[in-house]
Amino acid sequence: MSFDVLFNQFLSGIARGALLFLVASGLSLTFGVLRVLNFAHGSLYMLGAFLSYSIWKWLLIPVVGFYVATLLTAFIMAGIGLLIEYFILRRLYARGWPEQLLATYALILIITDIVKWFWGGEFLSIPRPKPFTGAVFLFGFPFPSYNFFIILLGLALVVFLWWLVYKTRLGDIIRAAAHDRDMVSALGIPIPWLFTWIFALGAMIAGLSGAVTAPYGAIALGMDIEIIIECFAVVVIGGMGSLPGTLLGALIVGQVYSFGIMYKPELALAFIFMVMAIVLIIRPWGIFGRPER
Amino acid sequence: MKRLAFFTVVICVLSLLLAPVVLAQAKAAPAKEAAKVAVKTGEKDAIRLGGIWDFAGPCYMLSESAVQGMRIAVEEINAKGGVLGRKMDLIVRDTEMKVDVGARETKDLILREKVNFLIGPCSSGVALAVQVVHSESKVLRITCMANTEGQVVDKFTPYVAQVVPNTYMEAIAATRFMNKKYPNAKKFCTIAPDYEFGRREEAAFEEEIKRLVPDSEILYQAWPKPGEKDFTSFITAIMAKKPDAVHSSLFGGDLVAFTKQAAPYGFFEKIPFIALYDLPVFIALGADAPDGVMAFGRGCFFMDPNPKMMEFVAKYRKARGAYPDSWAVQAYDSVYLIKAAVEKAKSTDTEKVIKAMEGINLDSLRGKFFIRPLDHMGSVPCYQGIIAKDPNYPFKVWKDVVKVPGEQVWRSEAGVREVWKKTGVTR
Amino acid sequence: MEANQMEQQKSWKKRAWWLIVLIAAGLIAPHVISEFYLLILGEALIMSLFALSFNLLFGTMGQLPFGQAAFYGLGGYGMAMLLTKFQVNFWLSFVAGIGIAALVALLVGIFCVRLRGIYFSILTLAFGQLIFVIIYKWHDFTGGDDGIQGVFPPVFLKDPIAYYYFILLVFCLSAFILWRIIHSPFGYTLQAMRENSERTEFLGIPIARYQLIAFVISAAFTGLAGALWAPFYRSVAPSTLMWIKSGEPVMATILGGAGLFFGPILGTFLITFVHAYLLGFTHFWPIIMGTLILIVIFLLPGGILGFIKEKRDNRNKQNQPSQG
Repeated sequence: MSFDVLFNQFLSGIARGALLFLVASGLSLTFGVLRVLNFAHGSLYMLGAFLSYSIWKWLLIPVVGFYVATLLTAFIMAGIGLLIEYFILRRLYARGWPEQLLATYALILIITDIVKWFWGGEFLSIPRPKPFTGAVFLFGFPFPSYNFFIILLGLALVVFLWWLVYKTRLGDIIRAAAHDRDMVSALGIPIPWLFTWIFALGAMIAGLSGAVTAPYGAIALGMDIEIIIECFAVVVIGGMGSLPGTLLGALIVGQVYSFGIMYKPELALAFIFMVMAIVLIIRPWGIFGRPER
Repeated sequence: MKRLAFFTVVICVLSLLLAPVVLAQAKAAPAKEAAKVAVKTGEKDAIRLGGIWDFAGPCYMLSESAVQGMRIAVEEINAKGGVLGRKMDLIVRDTEMKVDVGARETKDLILREKVNFLIGPCSSGVALAVQVVHSESKVLRITCMANTEGQVVDKFTPYVAQVVPNTYMEAIAATRFMNKKYPNAKKFCTIAPDYEFGRREEAAFEEEIKRLVPDSEILYQAWPKPGEKDFTSFITAIMAKKPDAVHSSLFGGDLVAFTKQAAPYGFFEKIPFIALYDLPVFIALGADAPDGVMAFGRGCFFMDPNPKMMEFVAKYRKARGAYPDSWAVQAYDSVYLIKAAVEKAKSTDTEKVIKAMEGINLDSLRGKFFIRPLDHMGSVPCYQGIIAKDPNYPFKVWKDVVKVPGEQVWRSEAGVREVWKKTGVTR
Repeated sequence: MEANQMEQQKSWKKRAWWLIVLIAAGLIAPHVISEFYLLILGEALIMSLFALSFNLLFGTMGQLPFGQAAFYGLGGYGMAMLLTKFQVNFWLSFVAGIGIAALVALLVGIFCVRLRGIYFSILTLAFGQLIFVIIYKWHDFTGGDDGIQGVFPPVFLKDPIAYYYFILLVFCLSAFILWRIIHSPFGYTLQAMRENSERTEFLGIPIARYQLIAFVISAAFTGLAGALWAPFYRSVAPSTLMWIKSGEPVMATILGGAGLFFGPILGTFLITFVHAYLLGFTHFWPIIMGTLILIVIFLLPGGILGFIKEKRDNRNKQNQPSQG
């Protein structure tokens, strides 16, 4: 195996990992603070993809249209996340986590049909926006510029979340609430609104990653189920609720899949589940997670 | 905190205002209605057709297409007086692309709706499970989409007939086309979705290319999972092997994603490629469809623009506001096959219809074909071509179309019997 | 004290009546309803068994497994493969299917029972998916996503009515056994573990071992349900092992009520019949199901039966003067 081949597979693994991080970070954030494992996170991702397509089609502005559509999608998804948290999840915090889990499972069903109703079963596609249409050359190898865009976005998200969680007052509150929500509430911080805000942020990230994925591949029914399992693998391996863990988990899953494909394509998927099971057996809270709960 | 609350409200309002606008726009797009296609003539002795289709996942839009094609055929036939003076009813059931639901809904169609014939489904896995059920109940099914050879070869029962080229035929024809265009190609890679359809097509490709080019080599076989969103690692793995050509049975959304992801690597300029580039893929890809690349398919209008076909296109566009794809065409042909067989048998009794159907000739949208008596396989054509622009259509189509009659590429009767010996089919 | 015992005896008598009515209904069903609805009834019984075995872990033990579909599929596949590939006798294959499900549960359970709460759920999900992927990809052995067809019951069970009675018989026996398990010292210990696992541990109960036993028992009955299913429609396919299928007993149990033995049965019957009915004229079933779940979670905590029971308990409390 020559270096260039390995390097290429490594790069494609990075691109896949970046995409996974974009999606999974929202899931991790929601779990870290709200302690809710949002099964419907993949559905929000799918909804974001379809929404961005429609907005893009409606706007029909050349070049900038896609970026505007992505931004608008992010805001709409934040609003939807807000509504979901306020009307559905909020009332379930007092109940056990099984009910919360089930509510998010029910949301998968509801959102799938909403997408079916409005967009039908057609698969859709957005062409890649300028200037990310071609490829850049690394070591003489073409690497699609759009993959670069995704990696850059992933990095930007890492920086943004790091800044938010560690450098702002809100971040202090978030970390405190993740640790001990009753104490934070006793200090006069309106926990319900904090939770709503975090969930909305998680939904926004899901929608944003959906919109970003649209030009990457195809927009189709079933993309919610397809991504949520990989997201679970990512947050389990990295540590549920830990953002550095999610980043590491995403990179690991990306590479395992990328190299697995080269050697044993049929088993690449099984590898992921095996790693997931092994991590859960040896260290259930993941690489960077904390043993509590 | 207050700033945060204000900001939150702003987002809420913004989104609530935008969302309905966008959703209305999405809904307004043509051909997006849920298929409420049942045709109920209300006549007591109507011939009842049961459509068993998968309205989930990648099969959703294909099923909708097929059902629309069926409906147009049924309405046409009813307008001309029906079959043997009896009108046709059409009832459709959803399998949710689940094998257990499919089996149950088939029973529903047979027991409660008392259908005379079945058409469908889309998923090969569901088709095989359904086949056991309706064969036991002795009801005839025409398969026009699920094309696994398993239906008429491996697990043959007399209660199935196939009007879509099976995995073997399709792959053999595509391989020959590719070999003719690139006779010097010796080293190949394949990429196919990792389930029965993909496996069978690539197995047939392997068999045929070895026959055509004895010193050929398959360097690497990529097996992405169905619904894969990111083919990048597969693309780089294939390009690293530097094959002379690549054969693929990717289709639908997978093919769209693959095409978009492979293009920046210069894949289509460097490596000859053939895949199922059909109408839905062209509509989705738009300008992203790669010119000059080889394609294979089952009978869309741009593959076979004969007068009957174009008449169907006009009717379909009027009824649905969209162009019909191969799936609608084949479903339409299925209904007419039933009509022809019933008229020949002068009865709707299943055994008589099956007898009449064996060897029957049909003048279909895809030209003439017949049903081989041995395995009920239709000698349906396989098409190949080159992707190209066409000023008449808002999407890319094919040029240099090659139409291969089914009898040139299907398994010989001896070949079929050989498989039957292995799988225990006695006929 | 005596008033309480009389209350309990009264409720027992009432329950016994209900049971007799239900079983009688089950027995005369084939002669009253059409063949199609008989099929739905059979399906509901099999899925109820699935839900009941799930509830052994959920309602009784307090854990939420999300990979039960794997055992359901293993039961069906084990039986189907032995029957069709190795020409083993039907009854032997049937029992072997259950055995295979139980055996795999033992291997998998050893790891799962060391975890609690959400980690338990995710690990069962991961194992469930792993088993699904193995069966799906090993097409040389399992037939891949073609599945296995030709799973025929013995001749005297081929008739739909006969097979229905077979399902009914197996269901009643299994339900009875599960009832006895739940109301045995072992079952009470499981409930104690659910309420307060630390305390139970301090009492000297080996938690992990008990949980493992429960896990295997649950998997065995789930496998039994799968083995009942395979000859029902004469085939098995990998799609029955996907994690989405694992969600079905969960939804049914929550709907009917996890706290009562009959909850999962009621929930399953409701879902199965409504589903079959609605598929007749719409393919937007998921949104209806999802909305139904949400409504039940919000308005009827404890499920339908739990809600009814609470209403009745409140009424009884009002009727009884406080005992000084």
